[in-house]
Amino acid sequence: MIQFQQVSKRYPGGIDAVKQLSFEIQSGELVFLAGHSGAGKSTLLKLIAGIEKPSAGAVLVNHQNVSRLGRKALPYVRRHIGLIFQDHKILFDRSVFDNVRLPLDIIGFSGPEVRRRVLAALDKVGLAGKESSNPIALSGGEQQRLCIARAVVHRPAILLADEPTANLDRDYAHDILELFKSFHQVGVTLVISAHDESLMADYGRRILRLKHGEFTA
Amino acid sequence: MKHWLRLNRLALVRTFGGMVRHPVNSLLNLLVIAIAASFPFGFYLLLSSVATVTDKMPVEPQLSVFLRATATAAEIGKLKEQLALDERVAQVRYVPRDEALKQLQARVGSADLMAGLTENPLPDAFIVTARLDASPAELEQLRDTLARHSGVEEVQLDSAWAQRLHRLIAFGEVLLQVVVVLLAAALALITGNAIRMQILTRREEIEVSKLIGATDSFIRRPFLYAAAMQGLLGGLAACGIVAGAMWWLNPAVRDLAATYGEAFTLRMPEPAEIVGVCGITVVLSVAGAWIAVWRHLHRHL
Ligand SMILES: Nc1ncnc2c1ncn2[C@@H]1O[C@H](COP(=O)(O)OP(=O)(O)OP(=O)(O)O)[C@@H](O)[C@H]1O
Ligand SMILES: [Mg+2]
Repeated sequence: MIQFQQVSKRYPGGIDAVKQLSFEIQSGELVFLAGHSGAGKSTLLKLIAGIEKPSAGAVLVNHQNVSRLGRKALPYVRRHIGLIFQDHKILFDRSVFDNVRLPLDIIGFSGPEVRRRVLAALDKVGLAGKESSNPIALSGGEQQRLCIARAVVHRPAILLADEPTANLDRDYAHDILELFKSFHQVGVTLVISAHDESLMADYGRRILRLKHGEFTA
Repeated sequence: MKHWLRLNRLALVRTFGGMVRHPVNSLLNLLVIAIAASFPFGFYLLLSSVATVTDKMPVEPQLSVFLRATATAAEIGKLKEQLALDERVAQVRYVPRDEALKQLQARVGSADLMAGLTENPLPDAFIVTARLDASPAELEQLRDTLARHSGVEEVQLDSAWAQRLHRLIAFGEVLLQVVVVLLAAALALITGNAIRMQILTRREEIEVSKLIGATDSFIRRPFLYAAAMQGLLGGLAACGIVAGAMWWLNPAVRDLAATYGEAFTLRMPEPAEIVGVCGITVVLSVAGAWIAVWRHLHRHL
């Protein structure tokens, strides 16, 4: 599903965020991405979504070389990917409902289907009844749930979550991870990053450990 | 196709939402477009109004050389010779007094023009057509030379002012082209900038949309609609401004024209011209918006 071949990423300024990474993630797999701050976790996820282009190597998603896709083709690949951003990227000028509907608008859903899907997604993440609130009125954990709802509302095959448990207490973090597990159970391919590895241990999944842009054992 | 229609409807809804949310800004942009477009359009109407009059005027500069009643056949013959040799002269026609009277009667349309007159009061005359490219100064020179001739009573330079007017209009048309080009550029810049402001207020939405799979055209569409709407309303407002200005100016113009014995008014915009003006403002606005969005997308995302 996701394949890295000798991928390196050097940002302008000479920082090598990831170095010569090769790995493969199977369809339906749940993989954790661990590493210290600045290890390259966000960079790796951005490479998968085509938000950053590798300086060397190839990133394949669904057998498509994401790094070679042009401006026109890339959006259609991204529609198969649900993204949960480290900095949330919630739009505070509109309601919870209108935040979650954004991917549906982009894909071109309309009418009652939009409402049905948005409410289903909000219900799934535990935000039922909050649809007309402004996101500013949500707690940190609830904002995280809003991000998850927006990432899954169009039922993507791949879900990339960048530190979805940051700033949450342990119990809440576990609730969020349980939520991801439920997506995994219906066949979604998941990559979840976190710097607190102890959370992942309970789930017994594959863990990719990054240190200064390289894998460690 | 259905999908495309749906995206467009969505964009339209967002566009109107935006305009209603920022009514003062939208109105100001619209007025700036309207005023910018009303200058060349008003100028154009002014020119074309004047042109309807001048098109009926003779373009070739003409001189009427009226002869003295006492002029001898020798004097007339010499004058004819002199005219034939003058290189400023293109054509000469001798109009005897009887023919002149007949022409006058035909024009006035009354047979009893002569009632109360025992004799034809008109003189014999030469109608001299000067070369088309003769300058006004050359024409005046020609008039003075002819006037000094012994058999000549008076010389009238008939169409010098008409020729001047024609040249003035030709100059006005060039000036109009310059004004149109400059204000067209200004108009595209104005809408481009207005759209840039709208882009900035929606920067985050654009960024997120792009990250989760929006195409460039999805991002662009609502802004192009907003620009088209601005251009259309701005163009209509420009036509309103121009019609109002014409209506305001017309009494004074009518009085002025009357002093020249002309019935002349500035004309109002015609439907086809209104469509044309709105078409141009829409195209320019959309072009400005397109560039603004393109620059944003390619610089930041
Ligand atoms: N846009 C950028 N331009 C330049 N350098 C960058 C950019 N983004 C990240 N970096 C650098 O690349 C390295 C990896 O950054 P990245 O954001 O991938 O780390 P991370 O593992 O996600 O860290 P954190 O846990 O703090 O989010 C860091 O040294 C960072 O400074
Ligand atoms: Mg990060």
